[in-house]
Amino acid sequence: METEASIITSLPLGFPTCLFELKMHIYLKRQQMLFCCTTNTVEEPLDLIRLSLDERIYVKMRNDRELRGRLHAYDQHLNMILGDVEETVTTVEIDEETYEELYKSTKRNIPMLFVRGDGVVLVAPPLRVG
Amino acid sequence: IHLVAGFSSIRERTIAENSLVILLQGLQGQVTTVDLRDESTARGHVVNVDAFMNIRLKKVLHRDRRGRLTQLEDLFVTGRNVRYVHIPDHMDIMETIQGQLAKSHRVRNFAGGRKEYAKKKS
Repeated sequence: METEASIITSLPLGFPTCLFELKMHIYLKRQQMLFCCTTNTVEEPLDLIRLSLDERIYVKMRNDRELRGRLHAYDQHLNMILGDVEETVTTVEIDEETYEELYKSTKRNIPMLFVRGDGVVLVAPPLRVG
Repeated sequence: IHLVAGFSSIRERTIAENSLVILLQGLQGQVTTVDLRDESTARGHVVNVDAFMNIRLKKVLHRDRRGRLTQLEDLFVTGRNVRYVHIPDHMDIMETIQGQLAKSHRVRNFAGGRKEYAKKKS
Protein backbone atom coordinates (compact mmCIF):
# COMPACT_ATOMS: atom_id res chain seq x y z
CA MET A 1 0.00 0.00 0.00
CA GLU A 2 1.49 3.32 -1.03
CA THR A 3 0.66 6.70 0.36
CA GLU A 4 1.93 9.81 -1.31
CA ALA A 5 3.49 11.84 1.41
CA SER A 6 3.17 15.56 1.62
CA ILE A 7 5.90 15.93 4.19
CA ILE A 8 9.13 16.91 2.55
CA THR A 9 12.26 16.83 4.55
CA SER A 10 15.99 17.08 4.16
CA LEU A 11 16.88 15.18 7.30
CA PRO A 12 19.20 12.21 6.91
CA LEU A 13 17.31 9.33 5.36
CA GLY A 14 19.86 6.65 6.06
CA PHE A 15 20.47 5.91 2.39
CA PRO A 16 21.67 7.95 -0.59
CA THR A 17 19.07 10.14 -2.30
CA CYS A 18 18.64 9.55 -6.04
CA LEU A 19 18.77 12.12 -8.80
CA PHE A 20 16.13 10.71 -11.13
CA GLU A 21 12.59 11.97 -11.24
CA LEU A 22 10.67 10.08 -8.57
CA LYS A 23 7.80 10.92 -6.34
CA MET A 24 8.20 10.83 -2.61
CA HIS A 25 6.41 7.86 -1.14
CA ILE A 26 6.14 6.26 2.22
CA TYR A 27 6.18 2.59 1.39
CA LEU A 28 4.78 -0.03 3.62
CA LYS A 29 6.56 -3.02 2.27
CA ARG A 30 7.35 -6.16 4.17
CA GLN A 31 7.65 -4.38 7.49
CA GLN A 32 9.98 -1.75 6.09
CA MET A 33 9.32 1.93 5.97
CA LEU A 34 11.22 3.77 3.31
CA PHE A 35 11.35 7.41 2.35
CA CYS A 36 12.25 7.94 -1.26
CA CYS A 37 13.28 10.95 -3.25
CA THR A 38 11.31 13.98 -4.32
CA THR A 39 10.61 15.07 -7.88
CA ASN A 40 13.50 16.76 -9.60
CA THR A 41 11.52 19.27 -11.62
CA VAL A 42 10.13 22.51 -10.25
CA GLU A 43 6.43 22.25 -10.94
CA GLU A 44 4.75 24.54 -8.49
CA PRO A 45 5.67 27.35 -6.08
CA LEU A 46 6.13 24.93 -3.19
CA ASP A 47 8.85 23.22 -5.18
CA LEU A 48 10.87 26.42 -4.96
CA ILE A 49 10.88 26.04 -1.20
CA ARG A 50 12.03 22.47 -1.66
CA LEU A 51 15.16 23.86 -3.30
CA SER A 52 15.98 25.59 0.01
CA LEU A 53 15.80 22.47 2.13
CA ASP A 54 18.69 22.23 4.54
CA GLU A 55 19.71 25.77 3.63
CA ARG A 56 19.44 28.84 5.75
CA ILE A 57 16.36 30.82 4.86
CA TYR A 58 14.60 34.02 5.74
CA VAL A 59 10.93 33.80 6.69
CA LYS A 60 8.74 36.86 6.98
CA MET A 61 5.85 36.28 9.36
CA ARG A 62 2.76 38.17 10.36
CA ASN A 63 2.90 40.66 13.21
CA ASP A 64 6.24 42.13 12.15
CA ARG A 65 8.24 39.03 12.84
CA GLU A 66 11.12 37.55 10.90
CA LEU A 67 12.88 34.26 11.26
CA ARG A 68 16.29 33.23 10.02
CA GLY A 69 17.12 29.61 10.32
CA ARG A 70 17.93 26.32 8.61
CA LEU A 71 14.95 24.72 6.92
CA HIS A 72 14.65 21.09 7.94
CA ALA A 73 11.12 20.28 6.82
CA TYR A 74 7.96 21.84 5.54
CA ASP A 75 4.51 20.79 4.41
CA GLN A 76 1.74 22.09 2.15
CA HIS A 77 0.46 24.46 4.84
CA LEU A 78 3.95 25.92 5.17
CA ASN A 79 4.25 24.51 8.65
CA MET A 80 8.02 24.39 8.96
CA ILE A 81 10.72 23.02 11.14
CA LEU A 82 13.61 25.42 11.45
CA GLY A 83 16.89 24.79 13.22
CA ASP A 84 19.19 27.39 14.81
CA VAL A 85 16.57 30.08 14.47
CA GLU A 86 16.89 33.73 15.17
CA GLU A 87 13.54 35.47 15.60
CA THR A 88 13.36 39.23 15.15
CA VAL A 89 10.33 41.13 16.39
CA THR A 90 10.16 44.72 15.19
CA THR A 91 8.18 47.38 17.02
CA VAL A 92 7.60 51.01 16.22
CA GLU A 93 7.63 53.53 18.98
CA ILE A 94 6.60 57.09 18.34
CA ASP A 95 8.48 59.76 20.21
CA GLU A 96 5.96 61.95 22.02
CA GLU A 97 7.69 65.26 21.38
CA THR A 98 9.29 64.93 17.98
CA TYR A 99 6.77 62.41 16.59
CA GLU A 100 9.70 60.48 15.25
CA GLU A 101 9.24 56.82 14.53
CA LEU A 102 11.69 54.73 16.46
CA TYR A 103 12.10 51.19 15.15
CA LYS A 104 13.11 48.71 17.78
CA SER A 105 13.84 45.07 17.20
CA THR A 106 14.07 42.27 19.72
CA LYS A 107 15.90 39.10 18.84
CA ARG A 108 15.97 35.68 20.37
CA ASN A 109 17.56 32.37 19.45
CA ILE A 110 15.83 29.01 19.49
CA PRO A 111 17.63 25.73 18.67
CA MET A 112 14.72 23.92 17.01
CA LEU A 113 11.36 25.43 16.20
CA PHE A 114 8.11 24.23 14.69
CA VAL A 115 6.36 27.11 12.93
CA ARG A 116 2.66 27.01 12.14
CA GLY A 117 2.10 27.78 8.49
CA ASP A 118 -0.68 30.29 8.82
CA GLY A 119 1.71 32.85 10.26
CA VAL A 120 4.08 32.67 7.32
CA VAL A 121 4.02 35.50 4.79
CA LEU A 122 7.04 34.73 2.65
CA VAL A 123 10.06 32.47 2.40
CA ALA A 124 13.30 33.57 0.78
CA PRO A 125 17.05 33.00 0.83
CA PRO A 126 18.68 34.95 3.66
CA LEU A 127 18.90 38.64 2.87
CA ARG A 128 22.35 40.07 2.52
CA VAL A 129 22.43 43.15 4.72
CA GLY A 130 23.94 45.93 2.61
CA ILE B 1 -12.76 0.91 14.95
CA HIS B 2 -13.34 3.38 17.70
CA LEU B 3 -9.76 4.50 18.21
CA VAL B 4 -7.15 4.06 15.53
CA ALA B 5 -3.77 4.62 17.16
CA GLY B 6 -5.04 7.60 19.15
CA PHE B 7 -6.91 9.30 16.28
CA SER B 8 -10.61 9.97 16.62
CA SER B 9 -11.33 9.10 13.01
CA ILE B 10 -9.77 7.96 9.77
CA ARG B 11 -10.19 11.47 8.46
CA GLU B 12 -8.08 12.89 11.26
CA ARG B 13 -5.44 10.30 10.68
CA THR B 14 -5.21 11.19 7.00
CA ILE B 15 -4.98 14.88 7.72
CA ALA B 16 -2.26 14.34 10.29
CA GLU B 17 -0.21 11.91 8.23
CA ASN B 18 -0.04 14.34 5.34
CA SER B 19 1.34 17.26 7.30
CA LEU B 20 3.95 18.11 9.90
CA VAL B 21 1.39 17.82 12.69
CA ILE B 22 2.48 14.20 12.85
CA LEU B 23 5.73 15.41 14.37
CA LEU B 24 3.88 17.35 17.07
CA GLN B 25 1.95 14.19 17.87
CA GLY B 26 5.24 12.48 18.49
CA LEU B 27 5.91 15.05 21.20
CA GLN B 28 3.29 13.56 23.46
CA GLY B 29 4.68 13.11 26.94
CA GLN B 30 7.50 15.62 26.51
CA VAL B 31 7.87 19.03 28.07
CA THR B 32 7.77 21.81 25.50
CA THR B 33 7.04 25.47 25.18
CA VAL B 34 4.19 26.57 22.93
CA ASP B 35 4.21 30.18 21.77
CA LEU B 36 0.68 31.36 21.23
CA ARG B 37 -0.65 33.81 18.70
CA ASP B 38 -1.39 36.33 21.43
CA GLU B 39 2.32 36.50 22.30
CA SER B 40 1.91 34.47 25.48
CA THR B 41 3.75 31.23 26.10
CA ALA B 42 2.80 28.00 27.77
CA ARG B 43 5.36 25.48 28.99
CA GLY B 44 4.22 22.06 30.09
CA HIS B 45 3.79 18.37 29.29
CA VAL B 46 2.13 17.62 25.99
CA VAL B 47 -0.83 15.37 26.66
CA ASN B 48 -2.29 15.23 23.19
CA VAL B 49 -2.09 16.92 19.80
CA ASP B 50 -4.79 16.32 17.23
CA ALA B 51 -4.78 16.68 13.47
CA PHE B 52 -5.89 20.31 13.71
CA MET B 53 -2.95 21.16 15.97
CA ASN B 54 -5.21 21.57 19.00
CA ILE B 55 -2.83 20.94 21.90
CA ARG B 56 -3.64 19.75 25.37
CA LEU B 57 -0.98 20.45 27.98
CA LYS B 58 -0.73 19.58 31.65
CA LYS B 59 1.23 21.06 34.54
CA VAL B 60 1.63 24.27 32.66
CA LEU B 61 3.45 27.48 33.41
CA HIS B 62 1.70 30.16 31.39
CA ARG B 63 3.40 33.46 30.80
CA ASP B 64 1.17 36.16 29.34
CA ARG B 65 2.36 38.99 27.08
CA ARG B 66 3.19 41.13 30.06
CA GLY B 67 5.31 38.40 31.60
CA ARG B 68 2.91 37.48 34.36
CA LEU B 69 3.13 33.81 35.33
CA THR B 70 0.23 31.50 36.07
CA GLN B 71 0.35 27.83 36.97
CA LEU B 72 -2.26 25.68 35.33
CA GLU B 73 -3.06 22.04 35.80
CA ASP B 74 -4.58 21.66 32.36
CA LEU B 75 -4.48 23.86 29.26
CA PHE B 76 -6.15 23.38 25.91
CA VAL B 77 -4.84 25.50 23.04
CA THR B 78 -6.78 25.70 19.78
CA GLY B 79 -4.68 24.93 16.73
CA ARG B 80 -5.30 28.36 15.25
CA ASN B 81 -3.78 30.01 18.29
CA VAL B 82 -0.45 28.23 18.03
CA ARG B 83 2.38 30.29 16.62
CA TYR B 84 5.45 28.18 17.47
CA VAL B 85 6.20 24.94 19.23
CA HIS B 86 9.69 24.60 20.63
CA ILE B 87 11.08 21.20 19.86
CA PRO B 88 13.21 19.67 22.65
CA ASP B 89 16.89 19.51 21.73
CA HIS B 90 17.26 15.79 22.22
CA MET B 91 14.54 14.84 19.77
CA ASP B 92 15.31 13.15 16.48
CA ILE B 93 12.75 14.50 14.05
CA MET B 94 12.92 11.81 11.37
CA GLU B 95 12.77 9.05 13.94
CA THR B 96 9.76 10.60 15.61
CA ILE B 97 7.85 11.02 12.35
CA GLN B 98 8.67 7.50 11.20
CA GLY B 99 7.68 6.14 14.59
CA GLN B 100 4.32 7.87 14.45
CA LEU B 101 3.62 6.58 10.95
CA ALA B 102 4.71 3.07 11.89
CA LYS B 103 2.36 3.13 14.86
CA SER B 104 -0.69 3.97 12.81
CA HIS B 105 0.19 1.52 10.05
CA ARG B 106 0.63 -1.26 12.59
CA VAL B 107 -2.81 -0.69 14.02
CA ARG B 108 -4.35 -0.34 10.59
CA ASN B 109 -3.07 -3.75 9.58
CA PHE B 110 -3.89 -5.32 12.89
CA ALA B 111 -7.51 -4.29 12.44
CA GLY B 112 -7.88 -6.57 9.42
CA GLY B 113 -5.56 -5.58 6.63
CA ARG B 114 -4.10 -7.90 4.04
CA LYS B 115 -2.34 -10.89 5.47
CA GLU B 116 0.95 -10.20 3.78
CA TYR B 117 1.28 -6.92 5.62
CA ALA B 118 0.27 -8.39 8.93
CA LYS B 119 2.55 -7.38 11.74
CA LYS B 120 2.79 -8.27 15.35
CA LYS B 121 1.30 -5.46 17.36
CA SER B 122 3.97 -4.53 19.87
